[in-house]
Amino acid sequence: MRDISMILKSVWKSLFVFSAISVIAVSTVNAQDAKEGRTLFKAKCSSCHALDAKLVGPALKGVSDRHSEEFLLKWIPNSQGLVASGNPEAVKLFNENGKVPMTSFPELDETKVKDILAYIKEGEPKPAGDATVASSTLAKDQGTSGLSIAGIVAIVVLAIVILVILGRASKLLERLILQKQGIEIEEDVPLKVGVRKMFKNKKFVMFFILCLIICLGSFGWMGMWNTGVHTGYQPVQPIKFSHELHAGVNQIDCQYCHSGAFKSKNASIPSLNVCMNCHKAVQARDKYDGEVSPEIKKIYNALGYDPETQKYDESKAKPMEWVRVHNLPDFAYFNHSQHVVVAEDAIRKAKGLQPTEPVCFACHGPVNTMEEIYQYSPLTMKWCINCHKETDISGQKNNAFYAKVIEAHEKIKKGEKITPALLGGLECGKCHY
Amino acid sequence: MESNKKYWKGLEEYNNTPDFVKNNKNEFAEPLPIEDVLNEAGLSTVTPRRDFLKALGFGLGAVTLAACQTAPVHKSIPYLVKPEEVTPGIPNYYTSSFNGQSILVKTREGRPIKIEPNPNAGQFFRGTDARAQASVLDLYDVSKLKAPALVKDGKVEETTWAKIDSFVKGELAKAQAGGKKIRLVSSTVNSPSTNAVIAQFIAKYPATKLVQYDAVSYTGMIQANQNSFGKAVLPKYNFDKADLIVSFGADFLGTWISGEEFTAQYTANRNYKSLENKKMSRHIQFESGMSLTGTNADTRVPVKLSEEGPALIALYNAITGNALPGGTLGNNATADKVIKLVAKELVQAKGKGLVVCGSNDVSTQILVNAINAAIGSYGTTIDLDNPCYLYAGNDAEFNGLVAEMNRGEVGAVLFLNTNPVYDAPNTKAFTDALAKVPAKISFADRADETATACDAIAINHNYLESWGDANAYEGYYSIVQPTINPVFNSRQAEESLLTWADAPVKDYYQFVRSNWEAKMLPAVGLKWEEVLEKGVVTATAKTAGAYSFTQSLAQVATSIANSSKAFKGGDQIELQVYENVPMRDGKNANNAFLQELPDPVSKVTWDNFVALAPKTAEKLKVKEFDVVSVKGSNGYSVDLPVLIQPGQAQGTASIALGYGRTKAGKAGNEVGKNAFPFVSFVNGTMQYATNVTISPTGGYYELAQTQTHHSFEGRAVIKEATFAEYLKNAGAGNEKGEHKNYDLWDQYEKPGNNWVMAIDLNACTGCGSCIVACNVENNIPVVGRDEVRRRREMHWIRIDRYYSYETKNGDVTKEKEIAKLEDLDHVSVVHQPMLCQHCDHAPCETVCPVLATVHSSDGLNHMAYNRCVGTRYCANNCPYKVRRFNWFNYWNDSRFDNYLNNEFTQLVLNPDVTTRSRGVMEKCSMCIQRIQGGKLQAKLEKRPLKDGDIKMACQEACSANAIVFGDANDPNSEVSKALRSERIYYVLEEINVKPGIGYMTKIRNTDTTVQA
Repeated sequence: MRDISMILKSVWKSLFVFSAISVIAVSTVNAQDAKEGRTLFKAKCSSCHALDAKLVGPALKGVSDRHSEEFLLKWIPNSQGLVASGNPEAVKLFNENGKVPMTSFPELDETKVKDILAYIKEGEPKPAGDATVASSTLAKDQGTSGLSIAGIVAIVVLAIVILVILGRASKLLERLILQKQGIEIEEDVPLKVGVRKMFKNKKFVMFFILCLIICLGSFGWMGMWNTGVHTGYQPVQPIKFSHELHAGVNQIDCQYCHSGAFKSKNASIPSLNVCMNCHKAVQARDKYDGEVSPEIKKIYNALGYDPETQKYDESKAKPMEWVRVHNLPDFAYFNHSQHVVVAEDAIRKAKGLQPTEPVCFACHGPVNTMEEIYQYSPLTMKWCINCHKETDISGQKNNAFYAKVIEAHEKIKKGEKITPALLGGLECGKCHY
Repeated sequence: MESNKKYWKGLEEYNNTPDFVKNNKNEFAEPLPIEDVLNEAGLSTVTPRRDFLKALGFGLGAVTLAACQTAPVHKSIPYLVKPEEVTPGIPNYYTSSFNGQSILVKTREGRPIKIEPNPNAGQFFRGTDARAQASVLDLYDVSKLKAPALVKDGKVEETTWAKIDSFVKGELAKAQAGGKKIRLVSSTVNSPSTNAVIAQFIAKYPATKLVQYDAVSYTGMIQANQNSFGKAVLPKYNFDKADLIVSFGADFLGTWISGEEFTAQYTANRNYKSLENKKMSRHIQFESGMSLTGTNADTRVPVKLSEEGPALIALYNAITGNALPGGTLGNNATADKVIKLVAKELVQAKGKGLVVCGSNDVSTQILVNAINAAIGSYGTTIDLDNPCYLYAGNDAEFNGLVAEMNRGEVGAVLFLNTNPVYDAPNTKAFTDALAKVPAKISFADRADETATACDAIAINHNYLESWGDANAYEGYYSIVQPTINPVFNSRQAEESLLTWADAPVKDYYQFVRSNWEAKMLPAVGLKWEEVLEKGVVTATAKTAGAYSFTQSLAQVATSIANSSKAFKGGDQIELQVYENVPMRDGKNANNAFLQELPDPVSKVTWDNFVALAPKTAEKLKVKEFDVVSVKGSNGYSVDLPVLIQPGQAQGTASIALGYGRTKAGKAGNEVGKNAFPFVSFVNGTMQYATNVTISPTGGYYELAQTQTHHSFEGRAVIKEATFAEYLKNAGAGNEKGEHKNYDLWDQYEKPGNNWVMAIDLNACTGCGSCIVACNVENNIPVVGRDEVRRRREMHWIRIDRYYSYETKNGDVTKEKEIAKLEDLDHVSVVHQPMLCQHCDHAPCETVCPVLATVHSSDGLNHMAYNRCVGTRYCANNCPYKVRRFNWFNYWNDSRFDNYLNNEFTQLVLNPDVTTRSRGVMEKCSMCIQRIQGGKLQAKLEKRPLKDGDIKMACQEACSANAIVFGDANDPNSEVSKALRSERIYYVLEEINVKPGIGYMTKIRNTDTTVQA
């Protein structure tokens, strides 16, 4: 019996291994095609095409059913050539799509086109199991952290309650024992009388007033110092724009949207046509049951853009009113380009930024983790001045402008650390005019 | 040796009037009423306890509420679709042109905020005048119409372009069909494209004729040139080639033809570079009223208007040896003497002399042509082959138009860039004649005097919104391109004309471009885009030919003698109406910057006045600011205050044109009185001189005059020498007194840059364009007439104008001078730009209790507005009196409605300079925003700062190049070289505040042979 079961087991095992291997093998063969195709699709096609929505070009789902593979193999690498050659199908397709010429892709050979077609046929891979797991653990993690704090609080409260109850109980028991022993004890002094008695105690009153003064004083002091300081200011914006998603997950360079920061005093909020560079295609429909994401829709509405017809209607356009997060008073002059271009290296060094982090993080904080942007630095004059006093800018010597200025200063201030302050960066008129 | 010469800014200072002494003692005319509060019921009134508690409670509550707001919500609105060339925070510059001169327009985020000279504009177009600088404010004028309008029964009703078009087309067709004339009245059109448009319009409506009419006319000169040389043009003058300039009433540095260009030419022979080459031109001015040019003359001789003609005849006779009748100057011995000496010099300087005359009388100008031909000016100092097209108005044609309208022959009249109901010589006659025209159309941008008398107002773009071009000189073409989208529902006049003419191309941009591509560009081999970038196209100039004068002058002499005799003398005063530098002909009267720019001579703002010589005033028994009634021979009379003007010829009076607008807008309405009705039409041209009687009305009107507001208490701030002395010793007049130096302050080290300035008093003509440039650059508020009277003008740079006597008998003392007051006719003038001197040992810094004004390591005196608490100690301690206190929030206060108190006009503000709040002090920052900007540019380009990278607003605007700015630490910089001049002195250097601005002594090319 034992042998038979052994044999059976081995058979099962080998069967299982075989089937597993075959399944894996099959799936890998298919996946190879579609996966490669997906990468190619994202790189070459996605700026004009989506699977199930019309962008510049038509939706591509079911394209293999509409056209023969032979045609597509010719069309995709060189559509214009095909149109020019007078292929009726090609001409028809060209005319149907508003005569917008499709970019030629001579680099796409037959296998690559087939890969892409395989991807289009298979569609976006179903959200993989591990992704759901990951996201659910993420959710759980967050839940746990919230819960754990609540739990700790609850335990503490419970402990206090128990302690109080226990205390009461032990007192009661004690009293009962004493009563049983025949010893009479006075009733508890009412609380009110106790407080009144306490306030007749001059020392206590002194102590109490002192505490009050210290508390109020320090509270007031802190309050006054922080008047007008809006660190952490996080107004509600008209679009729930996530820097975490754009700058963090998608790794879009700060300069792509805030190009002004590198040329001008204003970092500038990007105009909506910059958003449209991506969001003409990126509509996050997969998360909203095939509808355009309501936040992205706000961009469209502001521009008067209709994603179905892909037409702009200027009469419907209305500007987007963002709420300023970083408010410098009018009398303080600040220039982004001076800091992020001219003084980039010095600031990086002073603030200990990683080479991968943009210099903007020095003052704006880890923007790539901010779901909604908030004011990271206090933007007080003290904060400005401290940095101007402490930052070593001797590295600026490779800028011919500074080389001359630093040389002049070194003649009179030998050996001192070269900071913006040394070069006159603390003088009133450098920022206030 | 220090000169004993006395300088004074006004007669009140000269005579030390009690008012002057009082006002001078108090730096601020109106102290806080602390005395009143202490003396009167102020402190004895009892505040009831409950009221006190109420106020306390409310105050506390309000403060708490105000503090509850955690953060201000500021909206930030980006472009929907950003134009590619715009980067917020970085200015863009576009070429354009203003009155024929090529300029650069600085725009920020799509709005023009500053006018700069175009470096390509040409050698002598290096600055801009006050009008060009101020013109950017006109764009943001709230008094403009916002849509085209139809006028019904005097009521202006805004309407649509479709309705305007159908109305105008109907009327034009009616006029054309009914055999009536159509007249297009315009100020001089020198734009090739506009002329092409008018040609198309005439092709459609052949009954049309263009009537060019300039409010201040040059017809006399044009016709004289036609008569003498067969060329009906204004010549091109070359003041730079003239060693001897004799001017008869021509204000060529200010208002005559092309003042800024002539300033550049004129000073090229008189500035420090020319003096270093031991070269300086000589300039003699004969005139009745004191003009800007007169103040700059080496010798200025006051002559009556009636003596001008005889003086020219005398000069002609003396030069040529002819004996034309009428050349006697019996009553003016000085002029007679000077004429003879000048004639000798002119003959000596053959080919290097120039005689100009401001008269609009054809005969007078023919005589001037004869003189210039005799001294060989043609081909050297006068160029008739590359003529000037800035003015081409024809007075006779305009007069003919009035007659035509009166006869009912005109079916439709269109007014382009002109306002004859205000500035025609006989306003009433013109208005009555105009009423007989069935269809009247104006292209004005506002419902001005003429537009309200019309039936339709087809509002035109501001020039900063327009396409166009100009042709100021033969072969000199400049482009006008828009720098902002039209703000209101306006349409360019040319486009309106094309629309009404049913032209094939109605888009004026296309029209201008194809016109250029067809006509101008092939000759110079440039592309349209290149022209837009350069802004100006110059063809090779033709060779200036010499012209000889062959005509008989007998008739001319008779005509001049008759004109001269028309001045009757006796109790009649000879009145001259003239353009002053800020207001000119009054077209820009609604520009608050220009209204508040002090007239360079009288220093009066916001008004015109009757200028009288002290002796004349005495004779008429009037004192300064007495209101007098001026009655012209044509019956027109105005009541105006008197201003005693040293240098004014006795028996004459002067009134500035351009004032008394009634429909200019908020700022310009009812400012002064209109003097255009004193203009008369005589011998085929407009004459700007007439007989008047002046009688006191008993009224008193204080003019808002800035001349004595910032007194130096008679300290020596001006140094001067004659050219002869200078040739012997370059440091003449600049002898340094011996005094010990004690330093209270530590030495400041300026290792990096040391920003300093040098101002050449010999180049500065006092025109005031720097003041307006500074106003626009630094957001300096306009305060209005009442506040100027209270000595509260805010200008960071002012031009002090000092009078002094001709040094006739060596040193003169004050007592002796007063004894012979007639010498006030012969005064000489110095203009001194005064701004913060950025002292190394600044007295303002030591007295500031809050360290709001401190020194910088690059030689500047910083002013931190946000730190200032308004004690005004600094202003009291400033020996140069250049600090200004903000008594109000001028940009946000309903009392200053004529300036920035609306969101639209605030668009003119320079976003790089903060607006100052009430209660803080301000002063010249040495355009620190420009310094910082220039440095940043060098840092971004990783190069050291070059000399000339940074220019001050005042420096850039200065046609005379009188202001040099730069780094004193760079020994090769322009300013270092200038500061090494022996003429350099520092104002009040004896008080050892170590100012950063050096002045160069004033040099006058007077000598003993010609002495007024």
